[in-house]
Amino acid sequence: MQKRLVVVSFLFIPVALLLLFLLYPSLRLLQFSLTDWNGMSKSFNYVGFDNYVEAFRNPDVWKALSNNFLYFGIHAVFIPLEVMLAVFLNNKMRASRFFRSIVFMPYILNGVAVAYLFSFLYNPINGPINALLEAVGLESWIRNWLSDKSIVNYSLVVVSLWRFSGLHVVLFLAGLQSIPNDLYEAATIDGAGPLKKFVHITLPGISRVMEIVLFLNVRGALQVFDIPFLMTQGGPGLASTTFTVYTIQTAFKYNNYGLASSLAVILMLMIIVFSYLQGRLFKGKGESS
Amino acid sequence: MNVRARSLPLLYLLFVAITAVVLFPIAINVMTAFKTPGDLMSSSPLSLPKQWSFVNLKTAFEKGNMLVGFRNTGILVFVSVFLNTILGAMTAYVLNRFDFRLKKLVMGMFIVAMVVPFYTTEVARFQIIKGLGLYDSLGAPLLIYAGTDLLQIFIFLQFIEKISAQLDESAMIDGSSYVGIFTRIIFPLLLPASATLGIIKAVDIMNDMYIPYLYMPSKSLHTLSTSLMTFVGQRASSFEQLSAAILIVLIPTLLLYLFLQRYVFSGITAGAVKE
Repeated sequence: MQKRLVVVSFLFIPVALLLLFLLYPSLRLLQFSLTDWNGMSKSFNYVGFDNYVEAFRNPDVWKALSNNFLYFGIHAVFIPLEVMLAVFLNNKMRASRFFRSIVFMPYILNGVAVAYLFSFLYNPINGPINALLEAVGLESWIRNWLSDKSIVNYSLVVVSLWRFSGLHVVLFLAGLQSIPNDLYEAATIDGAGPLKKFVHITLPGISRVMEIVLFLNVRGALQVFDIPFLMTQGGPGLASTTFTVYTIQTAFKYNNYGLASSLAVILMLMIIVFSYLQGRLFKGKGESS
Repeated sequence: MNVRARSLPLLYLLFVAITAVVLFPIAINVMTAFKTPGDLMSSSPLSLPKQWSFVNLKTAFEKGNMLVGFRNTGILVFVSVFLNTILGAMTAYVLNRFDFRLKKLVMGMFIVAMVVPFYTTEVARFQIIKGLGLYDSLGAPLLIYAGTDLLQIFIFLQFIEKISAQLDESAMIDGSSYVGIFTRIIFPLLLPASATLGIIKAVDIMNDMYIPYLYMPSKSLHTLSTSLMTFVGQRASSFEQLSAAILIVLIPTLLLYLFLQRYVFSGITAGAVKE
């Protein structure tokens, strides 16, 4: 009897918070997504799947999503480089601890401060980045980094890389450090070269971390928010808007809670589907090697 | 694995370059924060200040509402981390030491919560916060941050598994209740794990922007992040003052990183690598 009392009383608050602030809102999103609610009025009408149809037909939504894929793609391209850096750091080079601290530092900095800091760096008039280009004789590279529609997304992706690449490197490094050293020694005795060791020991050794990084990348890239929200508000026009920025603005700026909710539900489904697919793809590869 | 001696200088060059890329924005920010407006206008943004002036920092601190930001961020960090640690440990304790019918369901709910999107959920959560009368109060972020999550439970579970159940049993024989076992045996042994998890949580809270922005619009409730947002909105063009405000907001996590780096790293990697 005491057991049951302990279980119930210990779990009550954590589970209540989980239900109240995460799971119940998700269900409400499902409900709102089927209505034309504007967020304020007392009543709303059920409109079936109209919001979902509108979401799929809306070219702005696709534009936003394509921006998310840019973040996803470029971050994915950097993953092999991040593995490489982690391997180098793991080689016990001198000052390796110092470099690890430096590489990871951007991740723990305040995101708002970092976003505004880069807005200043990108400033077209007397901005530090343009001044730097001028100083090294690359005046022709000078751009309006945040107001040129064809460049703005790349400028923002750079900020995202600056902030988050270090996290991946540190995670990979932890994975590498968890590989027992005698595996490498045994392989050396068996006459395996560096490449063979990398493919047969290092890569399998970090497969768990790789899965986590890939999941973080999908989840992060699909939900990019604060960098564009703070630096460009999705502009100029909709050039740098992302799926989440678009959803938030649809709800809180244009009071279209129905459409915004359907977008949120779609986002949730995308996170599940893409994580699953990526996991399958990666697992399949891991087993064959 | 040994890197060949010949490629070593190249490797150092690579890491020196990366260090430069990481430090360049921060260095520019520090230099700009100490420049006078005239200095900033007349010289290259890459140059050192002609004279180091603390005027911008003073202005940013006072006009930027930074004292209030420090206070509210501090309250949120301490109270939320405290609650979050206790709730997480309680959940893990019950999940590890007891068998009950709904155990799978509880775990399942925490797993489902992992895929709930961060920002877009606010569309619905906003109504709940308002309905509970928590809008524009510290209570809203406090309760949101206090909730435990799968990663935290998972890490606590790893630690609890290592605590022998015999300890529990002998305490029972000595007349200890389950609550007593938790508070006197389990929780103290979880403290090292709590420290690492708590630091990561503290960094997350210090750096969060959207929850305080959405739920605490009042100026007296601004955190460091939202104080900075408001200040930038007011003085978009005076970069020396903005840089000073940015610098002030960067300092807390930088200090934390400088002094508690070991815990930051073990917290970040705890879930990724099995002990």
